[in-house]
Amino acid sequence: MIRRGTATDGKPVLRLANGLQMRTGNLLAGCGLVAATLILAAWSTGLGLTDTGLADLLRALSGSSLSDAETYALLTVRLPRILLGFMVGWAVALSGALLQSIARNPLADPGLFGFSQGSMIMIMLLLVIAPVAPKSLVALAAVTGGLCVAGLLLWLVGGERSSGLTIVLLGIAVETVLSSFGSLLLLYLPTETSITLSEWLAGSLFQANWSVIAAFTPLFVLGLVGSLLAGGATSAYDLGTEMAQALGEPVARSRPLILLFAVVLSAAAVTAVGPLVFLGVLAPHIAGFLSPAVGRARLLLSGLVGGILVVAADALTRGIAAGLPLPLGLSLTMVGVPLFIIALRLQALRKLQSH
Amino acid sequence: MRFLVSCAVAAVLATSPVLAADRLLIDDTGREITVPDTPERIVVMHEPLLGVPLMDLDLDLAGSYGRADDGGFVIAVDFIDTVLGEGKAKPKGFGPVGQPDLEKLRALEPDLILASELDAGKVDQLSTVAPVYLQNISGDKVHGFDIQEDLAVLLGREDLFEARKAGYMDRVAELRATLPGNAAGQTYLPVFLTDQINVVGDSSGMVQALEDLGYTRLEVAEASTTSASGGSMMLMPLSAEVFGGLNPDILVLLNSYMDSSRDETGTREKLDRIVPGWDRFMKPALEKRILFVDPAKVITPTVASAEHMLDAVEHWGGQER
Repeated sequence: MIRRGTATDGKPVLRLANGLQMRTGNLLAGCGLVAATLILAAWSTGLGLTDTGLADLLRALSGSSLSDAETYALLTVRLPRILLGFMVGWAVALSGALLQSIARNPLADPGLFGFSQGSMIMIMLLLVIAPVAPKSLVALAAVTGGLCVAGLLLWLVGGERSSGLTIVLLGIAVETVLSSFGSLLLLYLPTETSITLSEWLAGSLFQANWSVIAAFTPLFVLGLVGSLLAGGATSAYDLGTEMAQALGEPVARSRPLILLFAVVLSAAAVTAVGPLVFLGVLAPHIAGFLSPAVGRARLLLSGLVGGILVVAADALTRGIAAGLPLPLGLSLTMVGVPLFIIALRLQALRKLQSH
Repeated sequence: MRFLVSCAVAAVLATSPVLAADRLLIDDTGREITVPDTPERIVVMHEPLLGVPLMDLDLDLAGSYGRADDGGFVIAVDFIDTVLGEGKAKPKGFGPVGQPDLEKLRALEPDLILASELDAGKVDQLSTVAPVYLQNISGDKVHGFDIQEDLAVLLGREDLFEARKAGYMDRVAELRATLPGNAAGQTYLPVFLTDQINVVGDSSGMVQALEDLGYTRLEVAEASTTSASGGSMMLMPLSAEVFGGLNPDILVLLNSYMDSSRDETGTREKLDRIVPGWDRFMKPALEKRILFVDPAKVITPTVASAEHMLDAVEHWGGQER
């Protein structure tokens, strides 16, 4: 049974029988974002050389046959890109939102903490040892690299009383060292490995196919379920580590767990399309502008915005700028940064008006 | 009965396009692929190193990575025009560099995609369109116009290649006889100027021609160290300090493709910006042992590029006399 109620700040909420509650505004924002995702995905299925799109896809699902060119365009090229793009965007955004809560810093994302770099370096080292390593091994290397960095970070941060600022500063230090090492590896690796890695570092959905999606899905689901389970704790972490402890949050256990989920999500995304710089910062901020939220609602909204941004960036790459060499990382910046600036500017104006 | 079975097998072989017209190959990276016996719609992933060698063997290309939809080339130089002469039909493109468009590639209906070992990471996706053959192009694996010879064997054009090579070797013999001094034992060093000084690798028609004439490459300690540790396939960076102290018997200077002026004047100006006053202290400059060459003509691994290099050497030899 669902009951309507009012939160302590006077905003309307929906209360479930088990005690869980969700702000009506967050729910509406979530529904709006899901609708936006579906519209964007539908539009994106029509982008490309072959004259086909959503209508043909629906016809095919209802049993009609498509031409070879249409089948290839829809099922081999466009759908895998849209699906993988959305999942990857969701994963990176969720990872960023989790890290921002435990670091209590709005700039935190997998790149700032060095997780992406840890994954990349481990993949580079694997490709040096085994240039034709299977994708599952590459994914494992990425997760291992991210986990090693997370472990190092936790060890450096020390006890449960350490502040979010300490995590961020140490994260930046680790990231700087790893980035330098990564550049060194790129410089001295065999040319073919170096070129492949450089293309991958720019970010691309070119490799999107059903086997990559199949390899990505378990990590994505694991990270998703885990972050939703641990997500409730992020609202306590948003208040600071000491306050979270005062509220009864077992920081010594839950912080490493949240870090672990953030690493798994980030590593899975890095393996699939390369590092998507800044998305972990962009998406939670835009989600927060659309509908301020905490805990699980914040994570879900951030994930949706992240997915939408990557699908939109891919649509820009394939559709509007099809003839231009536009890597996914760049198109993501072109789509996300203006929205980010607008969101921050409007937030600032809103604050000015309220004072 | 046995006769009937033999006839049936023969009939199946004759009518099955897969069994009769395809062949199993192992490419340069050790992959097993099935390619048509006589590919008719070939697409290349690197035009100067894979496409131009094929066109030099009278093969038309269905598509080339890096060309625009209208056939225009994305970088400043169109190697088909500079190496093979203007007026040739241009292959169509399938997406900008760094972003191959699989739908456009499929629309070209290729029956073979020729790529290099540098494209190994793209093979899974490219293979959804057509079989992909990976050919070695790195300077430490191929030399001179080896790539063109390999492709001639792959596509059954050995006779044409041998005929082209025989004509070229005749010119080499003629030119060697007219060169001032004996080229055998003399050293050369090809240097490509970008915003830095680079020693050109071994895979080009230019290198083939110089070595067929009898010259040997000047070993540069710094460049060989870079190469051994996995430097660029064609270009090995060289410091200005080391460059200034080199003294090959022939210094071959090539200005970047991106510069509109790739002649002697433009090349001199470019080098002057990197090593100011080089022509006042470098021995090859003081003793006029410098050959200025347009890289857009001589850098591809083709007999055509080697012939352009012979033209350049011939012209230079004429000036010397």
